[in-house]
Amino acid sequence: MTYPDPDDPVAPARPGVRPFLQSGPQHSTGGYTPTGEQPPVESSTNTLRPFVITSGRTDGGDPDIGMETQVTLVPGAPPSRLSPETRAIVALCEESPISVAEISARLRLHLGVTRILVGDLRATGQLDVHVLDNDTPDPDTIMRVIRGLRSIS
Amino acid sequence: MDFDPSANRVVGTARIPGAPAPKKAPVPVKIIVAGGFGVGKTTTVGAISEISPLTTEAEMTSESVGIDNPGQATMKTGTTVAMDFGVLTIDQTLKLYIFGTPGQTRFAFMWDDLVKGALGALVVVDTNRIDDCYPAVDYFERAGLPFVVGINTFNGQMSYSVEEVRWALAVREDVPVISFDARFRASVRDALLVVLDQALDKAIRMKS
Ligand SMILES: Nc1nc2c(ncn2[C@@H]2O[C@H](COP(=O)(O)OP(=O)(O)OP(=O)(O)O)[C@@H](O)[C@H]2O)c(=O)[nH]1
Ligand SMILES: [Mg+2]
Repeated sequence: MTYPDPDDPVAPARPGVRPFLQSGPQHSTGGYTPTGEQPPVESSTNTLRPFVITSGRTDGGDPDIGMETQVTLVPGAPPSRLSPETRAIVALCEESPISVAEISARLRLHLGVTRILVGDLRATGQLDVHVLDNDTPDPDTIMRVIRGLRSIS
Repeated sequence: MDFDPSANRVVGTARIPGAPAPKKAPVPVKIIVAGGFGVGKTTTVGAISEISPLTTEAEMTSESVGIDNPGQATMKTGTTVAMDFGVLTIDQTLKLYIFGTPGQTRFAFMWDDLVKGALGALVVVDTNRIDDCYPAVDYFERAGLPFVVGINTFNGQMSYSVEEVRWALAVREDVPVISFDARFRASVRDALLVVLDQALDKAIRMKS
């Protein structure tokens, strides 16, 4: 698979490569609106390693979306115009729940990029992001992990 | 076991009213495997994982604010590091992720990200280069994350005993120092069980 390496300075940074992803909102939860008009193109002042495929966003996305956070396809999600990267993410989620880290690894997308795109797909109703209510696991959950681990050989 | 919806919640999705309920997903838990270069972190992850370890590339931002120049504008330095991880399915509703940290320890931002919500950590030590694990030990002590020091025995070869390593690391009395073999599943399983014991102790303390 060849996905553009966002770190690669020769990655296609030409305007118009992915016009609908150009200069999206600054926050990951926003995302572009697939049905709406093109967002206004604003000149980004953040030129530190701009990610073309995340519209130059480098903030790493929603901090609630962790590496192990599970992602599933929204049942009956309306079809949406997707970039190659977001389409690949949606395809990976088709089978069963998958973690953000696995998406990142399997698509060879940077973790930060993956997180932003997952946030976008959530905002547009394509993906469900399962967040944990409690920051640290409760004793019962840990006990289950212990029992599960003990049973392997 | 029943799926506990309170532990795993769907938020933020633009959902049409009356649309089908979200699919269920397992609760993910994670353990960190840390330590210096070449001490056997990836080997450890691979030994226990049900899939061959995957690598995710993360853009690590080191923010040098507050330490050298408090009050100064944040200086961001970006570097890409590779992080290995493996998965162990406990049951349909519970999945254990094991993340191996990259050697670079100065990227504080990444560590915070990695540690958030973690059960605990296994700090892998090679007795030939004990001090390589200091940054990891320092970090987990400061972060208050339960951790266990695991001496990777590399074929039973240990330049120092468990007691000597404990002395050299000066870890708290309640931090277990054990030896294990990163290549063997049962050995890694036992090491992770010690980490989980520590995690359980902390979780029970926090609850009461
Ligand atoms: N004999 C022996 N070799 C080991 C053991 N553990 C790891 N190795 C070898 O040591 C080398 C480094 O192991 P890795 O698991 O890649 O170490 P790492 O900590 O992931 O290394 P970095 O990611 O580069 O920091 C590999 O060649 C392993 O095969 C062990 O217990 N015994
Ligand atoms: Mg490694």
